[in-house]
Amino acid sequence: MDAPVVELDRIASDIWTAMLGLTLEPYHDAPVFPPDQRVATGIVQITGDFEGAVTVQLAETKAREVAAIMFAMGPDEIGEEEVSDAVGELANMTGGNVKSTLCGVCQLSLPSVTSGRDYHVSVPGTAVRDRIGMTCGGELVVITMLLRQDA
Amino acid sequence: MKILVVDDSKAMRAIVKRALSTLDRVAGATILEAVDGREALEVIQAESPDLVLSDWNMPEMTGIELLQALHEAGTVPTFGFVTSESTPEMHELAKTHGARFLVSKPFTPESLDQALAGVL
Repeated sequence: MDAPVVELDRIASDIWTAMLGLTLEPYHDAPVFPPDQRVATGIVQITGDFEGAVTVQLAETKAREVAAIMFAMGPDEIGEEEVSDAVGELANMTGGNVKSTLCGVCQLSLPSVTSGRDYHVSVPGTAVRDRIGMTCGGELVVITMLLRQDA
Repeated sequence: MKILVVDDSKAMRAIVKRALSTLDRVAGATILEAVDGREALEVIQAESPDLVLSDWNMPEMTGIELLQALHEAGTVPTFGFVTSESTPEMHELAKTHGARFLVSKPFTPESLDQALAGVL
């Protein structure tokens, strides 16, 4: 079964606007973070008729800002648990909307979150189907959809 | 009025609670929380909420498993899903098990209010 076109930019923009009141702008350069920047990654996996994963990546500083909005707290009040929860929920919403666009019967995993500098995320057996970069207040946000190579 | 918000994400529970706090339709309601379906079952038995707003995909017990358990117990409160997954199959499954509506994430207070208008 061929995967339908998934508009990652529209999905991400809808989520950030409705849930955070933030605007995502197109980013025209290669969506790559500087190696010295701490980056948070939220990931959900899709299984079933389509198999793959969706990741949402953003600078930890931006992730803290997002968490502060979600929890309606000041950035200084936000701890690692809140940041992880917020990034996981971003991945969950993005992955859920991607899953809803794919045809067939699929299941969505619970989100996982990691963070660090200069690392690569891979899901064995899958390849990057689409990766987009967008900016929010000048900070890069990267959304990636990975699918099994035969999809 | 008591409203139970069920979601494994604390951030999402905060967002749903904040959206509810802006709606005249549920002004003054007491908001209860549960982190998954299993905890929700306990809260429902203890507190008998008037409305349950539940995520679908959660650890321990999913939203649809919660709804099935309530259905089997014969005590289904007014129940709606607030979930990032929204396929026709899920709408049908939710409806079959007695859910009154399914609100897709991302949502706005207005879209939540619109869903509640049909049940409150």
